[in-house]
Amino acid sequence: MGGVNIRKSFLQELGPVRTISGLELLRVRYLGKKGILTAELKKLGGLPPEERRSAGALLNESKVFIETELAARRQELKELELREKFASQAIDVTLPGRYTRPGRTHPVIRVMREITGIFVAMGFSVEEGPEVELDYYNFEALNIPKEHPAREMQDTFYVSPDIVLRTHTSPVQVRVMQRKKPPVKFIAPGKVYRCDADISHTPMFHQIEGFMVADDITFSHLKAVLESFLHRIFSPDVPVRFRPSYFPFTEPSAEVDIGCIFCKGTGCRTCKGTGWIEILGSGMVHPHVLEMVGYDSRIYSGFAFGIGMERVAMLKYSIDDIRLFFENDLRFLGQF
Amino acid sequence: MRVPFGWLQEFINPGISVEKTAHLLTMSGLEVEALETDGEDVVLVINVTPNRADCLSILGIARELSVLTGAPLKLPAPPAGEAGPAGITVEIRNTELCRRYAGRVIRNARTGPGPEWMAKRLEACGLRPINNIVDVTNYVLLELGHPLHAFDLNTLKGGRIVVDTADKVYRKIKTLDGVERKLPAGALVIADAEGPVALAGIMGGASTEVEESTRDIFLEAAWFEPRNIRKTARALGLSTESSYRFERGADIGIIPLALERASLLIEDLAGGPGTVIRDGGVDVYPVKYAPPTIEVRTSRVNRILGAEIEEDEMLRILSRLGFAVNSSDGLIRTSPPSFRLDVEGEADVIEEVARIYGYDRIPAALPSSTLSADGAGSREDFIRLVGGAIRKSGYSEAVNYSFMNPRALENLSLSPNDLRRNAVVLLNPLKTEESLLRTTIVPSLIENLKHNRERGLKNIRLAETARVFIREREGELPREPLKLAGIAVQQKTHSFWRDAAEDFYLAKGAVEALLDELRIKDRHFTPSGEPFLHPGKSADLVAGGRKCGYVGVLSPAAAEKFEIREKEEITVFELDLDVLFDLLPPPTVYRPVPKFPYIERDIAIVVADGIKADDVIRYIKNYPSEFIEEAAVFDLYKGEKVPAGKKSMAFNIRYRAGDRTLTEDEIEVIHSGLVKDLLVHTGGSLRA
Repeated sequence: MGGVNIRKSFLQELGPVRTISGLELLRVRYLGKKGILTAELKKLGGLPPEERRSAGALLNESKVFIETELAARRQELKELELREKFASQAIDVTLPGRYTRPGRTHPVIRVMREITGIFVAMGFSVEEGPEVELDYYNFEALNIPKEHPAREMQDTFYVSPDIVLRTHTSPVQVRVMQRKKPPVKFIAPGKVYRCDADISHTPMFHQIEGFMVADDITFSHLKAVLESFLHRIFSPDVPVRFRPSYFPFTEPSAEVDIGCIFCKGTGCRTCKGTGWIEILGSGMVHPHVLEMVGYDSRIYSGFAFGIGMERVAMLKYSIDDIRLFFENDLRFLGQF
Repeated sequence: MRVPFGWLQEFINPGISVEKTAHLLTMSGLEVEALETDGEDVVLVINVTPNRADCLSILGIARELSVLTGAPLKLPAPPAGEAGPAGITVEIRNTELCRRYAGRVIRNARTGPGPEWMAKRLEACGLRPINNIVDVTNYVLLELGHPLHAFDLNTLKGGRIVVDTADKVYRKIKTLDGVERKLPAGALVIADAEGPVALAGIMGGASTEVEESTRDIFLEAAWFEPRNIRKTARALGLSTESSYRFERGADIGIIPLALERASLLIEDLAGGPGTVIRDGGVDVYPVKYAPPTIEVRTSRVNRILGAEIEEDEMLRILSRLGFAVNSSDGLIRTSPPSFRLDVEGEADVIEEVARIYGYDRIPAALPSSTLSADGAGSREDFIRLVGGAIRKSGYSEAVNYSFMNPRALENLSLSPNDLRRNAVVLLNPLKTEESLLRTTIVPSLIENLKHNRERGLKNIRLAETARVFIREREGELPREPLKLAGIAVQQKTHSFWRDAAEDFYLAKGAVEALLDELRIKDRHFTPSGEPFLHPGKSADLVAGGRKCGYVGVLSPAAAEKFEIREKEEITVFELDLDVLFDLLPPPTVYRPVPKFPYIERDIAIVVADGIKADDVIRYIKNYPSEFIEEAAVFDLYKGEKVPAGKKSMAFNIRYRAGDRTLTEDEIEVIHSGLVKDLLVHTGGSLRA
């Protein structure tokens, strides 16, 4: 049998082979010690030298050919085998993964943490104060004596004539100043209470108090700190304006508005057509408040501000009913 | 304060639109909350802050607008002439509480309905028309800001007025609204020869009321001390247009003008042949208005504001506001006008300068502040860590009111000496169900669970971090421990790629995951005695040797009391975060990872039901062999293959030496010894 014929018959026999073991049998049949090609190679010795040379070359070519074909087919079969194995092991990858679906962060807490983060990055520390508070800290030390009309600005829950649920986070100002020498620079997040419940008021809500007193703090600083904060929490291009207002414990006092984020200032229901939304109250700490804790108001000055968390969360997430925050409906909480 | 624009224009022609007017007022501190159309006119709804009593009138707003626009103010004519003696004597017995008392006798007026135009203006400002005389007093109150009161002269007894505080003689009064009122201590009253005829500055008395038949009138204009008026008004639960203004500080200087304006209006509207508006006048003014002189350094103004406002500009602003000013060497001496009782000190003057100068003109500059090393503080970080850990276990963060229904304490079956019974009680709750402050968060979460269940949600996990309030001593602030509580319920599903476990273990797992997150290792769980938990499916957490919480299945009895209809087990837990915070370990001290391999042995033992896995593990761990590194339970079986009253538990024990590879033979000796001793200790047997 010549080299060409060997190749032909090998290819015919290779055609139907579909297993690695069949392939091995075929290899032995051609290339084994007693294989067809091996036998032909042995015959070469009997040929005349001039023929031997060309016949030998031909047979060697065939041998390489067969080896290459076998290797290629082996590779093919191996891949096929693997594919079949994978196919048989396949699972439905669209079934849900196994994990505990994480709980969600309450939007008010989320906003509170975000705001806390912004001020901590600006170098403010975080302070706490009691929620059930002495009338003294909640009012008197903040320049709101008994029988002051400003008490009407905040409907108060009473525990006794001298003990109230704090109506704002501002008493923390006084408690911190009693403990620390200036300069002080802190925020105080927490719950506050007002004896009031309707569509837009809940008897409990959250505030963050901000406070900074040193020997050089100005109203100009207050403006810049609050502008930076509002640009970070809303957006860098939101307009901010300061307008005079009144809080007994700050003088000058300022209400801070941002351009309505819904209508972009053209006027809508949320901003009552004004194009502006009231977002927080602030001002320069009243000298009386400083003097009450023994800070020399001729040397020290500072600013304070209070931000309602629910209000920020409502604006940030377009929530139209404050009461949603306290129902803890998972269809609501799940969205944040 | 509601200000019809048309009325305002009688006092000033600002030369700008109502919208521009609203903007100017808003930016100077008189926030215009709305512009309401009222027929032809527009009403500015202005939020007047409590310090600006001077702006509780048309005149006040016009005055402010004049400062802002420079347009001149048109004041009503001053009194045209002196009134003769009134034939009424006025005696002020407390000149601190009543610093001025003036009046005017008007005769032969024709009391009747007021004119339409006046009624419309009163109504636009939220007042109800009554009759022409009363309407005039209300009209002047709105216009000039000074409350007036009209008495029917002929009902005043003895031709005298006494201003005094309530005492044994003056004990009660029937006010205009027909209510017989007991006078609170210290209340200032106006009395005639026989008794109280008006609650000073708050409301007139019924006996001297101006009625249709009234012809002769005594018109009162006085100044009453703000705190006293407020105290009395509050004690009586009575707030009137008059008291609202007096308690914020009325203008003592405008009294003659107010009387004149009212008299002229009465002449106009109730006059006729024989009407005399100047029959007699009195003006007792024992304590003259003495404005404070406030010293303000111009450098101080700019130092506080961070601005560079010229002294001239400051002086100009203050003069336009009606302040008397003089200055030398950068020191301004200024005195506020009688209508600005709110301006008491330097800070107030700085605010006046700033708000008229314009807050928007003050530059914004970040403080070049000292750095602070405090940061968020470890407690803040801790609370965030807790929130993160509990969310990972599937609990969403809830926020509830801090209030509690007194019934919740009963529903929880708390014993009488349980600290959680010491709730803080509110004196003025919005409703009974919210009359206590929470001593435990769990009742709130139960309500949340019910709310979600009623809306069709089946799998619910909620957790709340909040302070609770424990009353300690009367008159002192309560303790406010920080708690974390959770509630969970889940629908039983037997899906092939999920596995079911007792709900208790899911809740306990959440607690353990939290403790792992906090690296609190010194902890164990013991059966709990909480009265509202299933006694067989509840445990107390003991960490650092103290009980600091519990976890368990809500008892069926408690579930029923809270009116939970569903049959699924509800798990709750509540942890004392203050204690856990104190237990936070110091930073990890690194130990080298083991160099030599471990050898494992599994063992399954059949023991009585009462034997706790924890006891077995503790026994193994405390077994006197230095090679026992770890022991953990990995299976629990109860059923046909073990006798009733018993259970099979399987443990995995890991042996390791720190300095070499242990041999199987070495381990065999120790392990067989341990098994033998363990069986004796537990009274169990090896599982076949």
